[in-house]
Amino acid sequence: MTHATIAVAAGSLVAAWLIALVLIRGRRRWLQTMYAACGLAFLVMGIGFVGLEEGFLDPARQDIVLGTLLLAHALTAILVVGLIHGETLPRRRAAAFLLLGPVPVLAVFAPAEGWTLETAYDGNPVGGYLVLCLGIALAETVYARLTSRLYAAQSFWLSLGVVALFVGGPIYTYELQALGLPLSAGANVAAPVALGTFALVILQADPLPSSSRIPRGPWRGTGSLRAGEAIVFEEARPTYAIHTARTEAAAGRPTLVVARSAPPLTASGLGTATIPATRHAAVRLLTTASEFLAAHPGGLVVIPALADVVARSGRLRAFESVIRLKHAVKDTHSSVVLSTALLTDSERQNLKDLRLTWWSLPEPRRELDAILSQSFGSGAPRLLEAFCRAHGLRPDDLSTDHVPALIAFLQRTIAELTGAVEGSGAHGLRVQVEAASSVLRSFAALDASEVARGRWPSRGAPRTDEDLLVTAADYWKGKEMEELFASADAVSEREPLYERARAVFVEELGDAGEGVLRTQIARLGKRPEDLEKGDIVRIADRATVDLATLADVVDLPKEKDRLARQIDEIRVRLERLVREDA
Amino acid sequence: MASRFVTTLIRSAVLFLISVMLVLGFWFHSEFYQLGLTNLAIVGGFITFLVIGAARLAISGELPKGRPVGDLTFSLEEGDRILRGVAATVVRPAEGAPLPGVGQVVRAKYDTGPEFARLVVTDALRQHLSDLTEQDARDAGFRSTSALRGAAAGRWTWTPADVVTILRVRKLGAAR
Repeated sequence: MTHATIAVAAGSLVAAWLIALVLIRGRRRWLQTMYAACGLAFLVMGIGFVGLEEGFLDPARQDIVLGTLLLAHALTAILVVGLIHGETLPRRRAAAFLLLGPVPVLAVFAPAEGWTLETAYDGNPVGGYLVLCLGIALAETVYARLTSRLYAAQSFWLSLGVVALFVGGPIYTYELQALGLPLSAGANVAAPVALGTFALVILQADPLPSSSRIPRGPWRGTGSLRAGEAIVFEEARPTYAIHTARTEAAAGRPTLVVARSAPPLTASGLGTATIPATRHAAVRLLTTASEFLAAHPGGLVVIPALADVVARSGRLRAFESVIRLKHAVKDTHSSVVLSTALLTDSERQNLKDLRLTWWSLPEPRRELDAILSQSFGSGAPRLLEAFCRAHGLRPDDLSTDHVPALIAFLQRTIAELTGAVEGSGAHGLRVQVEAASSVLRSFAALDASEVARGRWPSRGAPRTDEDLLVTAADYWKGKEMEELFASADAVSEREPLYERARAVFVEELGDAGEGVLRTQIARLGKRPEDLEKGDIVRIADRATVDLATLADVVDLPKEKDRLARQIDEIRVRLERLVREDA
Repeated sequence: MASRFVTTLIRSAVLFLISVMLVLGFWFHSEFYQLGLTNLAIVGGFITFLVIGAARLAISGELPKGRPVGDLTFSLEEGDRILRGVAATVVRPAEGAPLPGVGQVVRAKYDTGPEFARLVVTDALRQHLSDLTEQDARDAGFRSTSALRGAAAGRWTWTPADVVTILRVRKLGAAR
């Protein structure tokens, strides 16, 4: 064997390994197929070259090697263009496939015209076609490098691969010709280098793994978000973004949440993907969302943690991915929701400059406070604080999802007062609580589009502590109100520890949470009504250990991560319950 | 001292290997260069230029992570915690001076001026200041969140609603 055949044979082995790697690790079917086709063409070409050199392939079969040489170059150009434009290539740049057209024509005419492997890079149509294919690939990567910050790294590696093919193909052939040495026609020693760089780009921009498998196919239902729009939710915390994802998924719309971490409770039909700690986060966000929308036209992608993408990949890359995503959304008649949570003022302004649909949304805590203020005046914050204490919640964590629990809390508070306040006073309080509950329910039932359009309670209701006017309601119910607030404080203190712990477990783990808590209580040998503060601490410790063991069994890193966060959150909230109870 | 010696040894070995490969390349292409002095001068000169450039980057420690994109300044105590590996994260206001992204290298400087390390950012995420946990504070080398806020109070005016960036960093190479 010669040095050339050994090198090409080794390169073919590397190519086979790379094809297997991409097929196993990749998540973009279309690009994987293109890569496999391109890689196989180079593989067959290499094996053919070794066969011809070593004599186990009939020299008359040179046409096969020439055919694969042509095919490999055409597929290289299409693959490189596809790696830059992603899954939109077949739809938006189908002309790229015209490059395959000349392959059969040139292969058929080659024997008659005397175009052989030895003259493949000479000044003939075959040579011109081969150089044209590589030229298109190189031009595309250079253009991407010059115009896109997002694809800067990827276009560098693609350029490297294409230049390697140039050096290992035409340039090396010309050098051998100049030296009068035997040509290694039909082989490109740089093929494994090029395939390696292409594989690197595929894996760098690979879509993120999603937690659930939603059946592919278009969705034709009606959602609360207009199709074909990228909508920015201006909010301090991604409350409405997550809420919208849940409600749309519950309505059957294929929905993907791309977040820092998966939401604790997932509805069926709701996929989740976690933004990785890499500088390619913006590219991967784009490919993940684009792939999802291409597979589920009419679907919804919610990005509550755009700020993390900005922090990891930089502002320019993150916002370029948003612009590209906007086009993908239009193409697929889908929707994308971007939350401004944790973005700085200047970043919000940059995002505004992109002229996306912009919805300003309120802070749920402030609105709940405003609604309660309409009925209970300046004591509303005390009620909310008491509720948060009772549920181990931080006020910032309040959302419309907590409205049913808040109403139940108010009703329990009224029930506690039954003995203390009688007659018209008690009746007045009940009416006020019912009125507040009704407004709370109505507010919680509003979706993001309605909230964005409508009047927020905090804007509509004058707060009694902001002006010095004393309303009639405050005047005649003043005494009962104070008793109500005291009762709410007492309810939060007297509410059985079991109920408060149960709320924590159920909110974090869903309905199964109550079972987990009951198991822990049973292991302590106690009944729910006998729980004490010390027991809560022990339950927090034991639940942490048990759930951590459960998390260790889970093989999926994302699910493992989600469980770990839920465990942490349960522990923190239980500790908060004990601390506030002390 | 030992780690610096090992680093120097590895860098020298890499340089030696590059030199050997350079000589092999010239030997392999000897026939090509026999075609004329011009070929040798242009092609050989260009290859040597690339190799010298790569070697310079290798020696300066800028390979494979590249040049620093900026500075992060630390108080003497904070810098000491980073150097000793007690702190793995850096908490900075998100608004204001641009912060490095993941994979980028920064010069770590004392607020008095001298550079004491090069840091590579391995993760970056945003958080409300009020959402920082005790674990976040411990990762940043502080006993508690209040200690973290207190230490930074002299440098930035923070309110609980402010957004901060938590950079997870790793020290590059041997100490300078």
